[in-house]
Amino acid sequence: MSPEIVIFNVTNGLIVGAFYVLMALGLSLILNLSNVINFAHGGFLALGGYIGWMLTPYVGFWGALALAPLATAVFGFVIERLLIRRLYGRDPLYSLLLTFGLAFILEDGSRSIWGAQGLPVSVPDILNQPLSDQFFFITGYRVFMVVVVVVVVAILFILLRYTRVGIRIRAGTLDLETVAALGVNVRALRSLNFAVGIFLAGLSGVLASGQLGLEPTMGTGLLMPSFIAIIVGGVGSLTGTLLGGLLIGVASGITTVFLPQASEAIIYVIMALVLLIRPRGLFGEEGMMT
Amino acid sequence: MSLLAIDDLTKRFGSLVAVHDVSLAVEPGELRAIIGPNGAGKTTFFNLISGFFAPTTGTIAFDGRDIGGLSAHARVALGMARTFQVTEIFPELTVFENVRVASEVAAGYRLRLWPSAHESAEIRRSVEGTLELAGLADKATRLVGELAHGDQRAAEIAMALALRPRLLMLDEPTAGMGDQETYEITQLIRRLHKDHNLTILLIEHDMRVVFHLADRITVLDQGQLLAEGTSAEIAANEAVQTAYLGKVA
Amino acid sequence: MKSGRTLRLAWVALMWLALAAAPFWMPFVGGYTALGTRVLVLGLAAMSVNFLLGFTGVLSFGHAAWFGLGAYGCGLLLKFGPPSTPLGLIAGTLLGGIAGGLLGALMVRRRGVYFAMVTIAFGQVFYYIAFQWSDLTGGDDGLRGFSRQPLQLGSLTIDILSNSNYFYYFVLVCFAIAAAIMGFILRSPFGRTLIAIRENERRARFLGIPIERHIWIAFTLSCFFMAFAGGLYALVNNFADPRGLHYSQSGDFVIMAVMGGMRTFWGPLLGAAVFVVLQDYISSVTVNWMSFIGLLVVLIVLFFPRGLLGLVNRRSVA
Repeated sequence: MSPEIVIFNVTNGLIVGAFYVLMALGLSLILNLSNVINFAHGGFLALGGYIGWMLTPYVGFWGALALAPLATAVFGFVIERLLIRRLYGRDPLYSLLLTFGLAFILEDGSRSIWGAQGLPVSVPDILNQPLSDQFFFITGYRVFMVVVVVVVVAILFILLRYTRVGIRIRAGTLDLETVAALGVNVRALRSLNFAVGIFLAGLSGVLASGQLGLEPTMGTGLLMPSFIAIIVGGVGSLTGTLLGGLLIGVASGITTVFLPQASEAIIYVIMALVLLIRPRGLFGEEGMMT
Repeated sequence: MSLLAIDDLTKRFGSLVAVHDVSLAVEPGELRAIIGPNGAGKTTFFNLISGFFAPTTGTIAFDGRDIGGLSAHARVALGMARTFQVTEIFPELTVFENVRVASEVAAGYRLRLWPSAHESAEIRRSVEGTLELAGLADKATRLVGELAHGDQRAAEIAMALALRPRLLMLDEPTAGMGDQETYEITQLIRRLHKDHNLTILLIEHDMRVVFHLADRITVLDQGQLLAEGTSAEIAANEAVQTAYLGKVA
Repeated sequence: MKSGRTLRLAWVALMWLALAAAPFWMPFVGGYTALGTRVLVLGLAAMSVNFLLGFTGVLSFGHAAWFGLGAYGCGLLLKFGPPSTPLGLIAGTLLGGIAGGLLGALMVRRRGVYFAMVTIAFGQVFYYIAFQWSDLTGGDDGLRGFSRQPLQLGSLTIDILSNSNYFYYFVLVCFAIAAAIMGFILRSPFGRTLIAIRENERRARFLGIPIERHIWIAFTLSCFFMAFAGGLYALVNNFADPRGLHYSQSGDFVIMAVMGGMRTFWGPLLGAAVFVVLQDYISSVTVNWMSFIGLLVVLIVLFFPRGLLGLVNRRSVA
């Protein structure tokens, strides 16, 4: 067990964790403001990847990276306006079922349009090079992914902290009634918030496609870790989701060193521990979401 | 010994102090009204007593026993029943079924799978009696969600009564009611107080109701105890007048 | 509402009659006995989910876990233990029920949407275990190498293995027993506390009902029923499928319950029947079963949330 292997796996874990974070933040945004578990999040991820693939011949990799998430977000916005919006006042079961049904439609739709086999995704050569001989395992692309995640997350947090819309979203998470009473258009806020969440999913999809390739079920495998990141970090807290995602990523990485078969199981163990010792999550607030 | 003894009760939400060092003692058989302008902390006070949330500091003693650490349902088991400002009932069940749940819990049947015929009959009698008392006997088979506002309130009170409480806490029972309904609810509360010797804690805005029913009145303003006394004393109290009676009636 | 009750009793009697005579009339409508058996088992599963969902108001979206555990428990006993169908069922029921009860204690600390998330995540743990522990469970291929054993009642042997009609009636009896127990519980004072919790949790709490405890009990009971259904399902196919543990399977059960009518007792059975028949038919004409069911779910949620029986039935529990 050389230190190199440990570093390798921890770094790997951080990279994976960063990815979980991107997915989980989108889920968390939607969950916090609208009380909706977006089962279709994985489907939107895949959609983002596919749209990126379609755009690449026209706008290149970088263009696709910028535009595909936007396109996906627009699509998500439309879905929210047409379908999800109608269910806000009702029992949360219905919005859960709705996104569940949407997930099916998105997955099967993707399969029908683009086929069940994986599609190859080409990535600019400069990204494919390893960083250096010593750290050959950290390819440029993976660093690139982390950089994108860091930048996007930073922008997200700045937006939430300092812009009017961001503050309204955060306030709405705590007390939607008061926000509405203060004259804010809550419906528009929710739509926008949803779109932002889907943007993050779409972005995850484009990034993931460069690493994993494209196929219709690519998002579903990431849905569970995202859930767990939110549970571990604490519902209602984006910072919690951020740290939760990194935590489970790193934990998974470290476990791979000692007990490779348990590397996936460890995130469930962490979740069980958190639920046992601190049910509200590491950064969750008492009384959220009950 | 006082049935309810509250000492220096304080509740803080972050930097907001909703209830500040309030002390109160309610004797058995007393009807105590809690009044005060909007935002005085009256409902928060009720929430503290009934166990909706825990106080920041201070003690609550029921029948000499410190109940500060008890959960809401445990306090109900000790004999405290309450109604809410926004009527909390079981909308898709009938009036009878609503009250039956309360009766069954009060009788200790909440985990029961097979009550005997005798026990079932007793519950039925108990529910019918409570409905009679609350004036809802003729509406027993109606869905509570479909009843008029005043009847829903009465149903909620009936549920609280079915628990055979020692302390009944009513949060603005006449809110949103017209004169006739207010009169009927007031008469009901009077009956419960006088004929059945229930100890009642009452939050009210309608001063006619307060002066008609209350033995003693406690006035809260901005989370603090402003005054306490009989109806006559409170009516004459200048500080109360400025803080409350001088404003919207 | 005497006449309303009599009408409902008549419908229920008709239903039992139809179920009892199924092997005889099903071939005439293009069905076959094994389809009926599937409907019964999945219907029981949907009713078990509904015990929590429709009657207690608790959102469990990971309930397939207990279904799967029941299936694997039954299969494992039949494969490695005595060749006894009843024992297999008991093993499966206990495995799912006890696991559910233990984990349920962890899960009921939160409610609403958060609880749903936790049930999903926990459900996936078992899915993952079934895949990874392939030495025991057969991994991706599922658990094979066992089959339902003929029933020995004294000197009488009922061959439920090769005779699908006999097996159907065996399952029908099991279904009837489970449904009877479920109905009995729901009509008891305890059952009424669950309905109270569904109707208004805050009011129930302030009537003196310890909410978390009652929800945990309801959860555990529903896990036992679910595991029983899972055990039966393993017997149907002589096979336990890891996909039966996936949250999409949980979603299917919830869909059946909602489609048939969440606020009614028999609704989920009807929902299961419609679901199974649709699945059979649609899968034979198109490969896009997923899109179809997704679309159906969206439509139901938006326009028919009360489900089929909800359309006709105004009230459920007498």
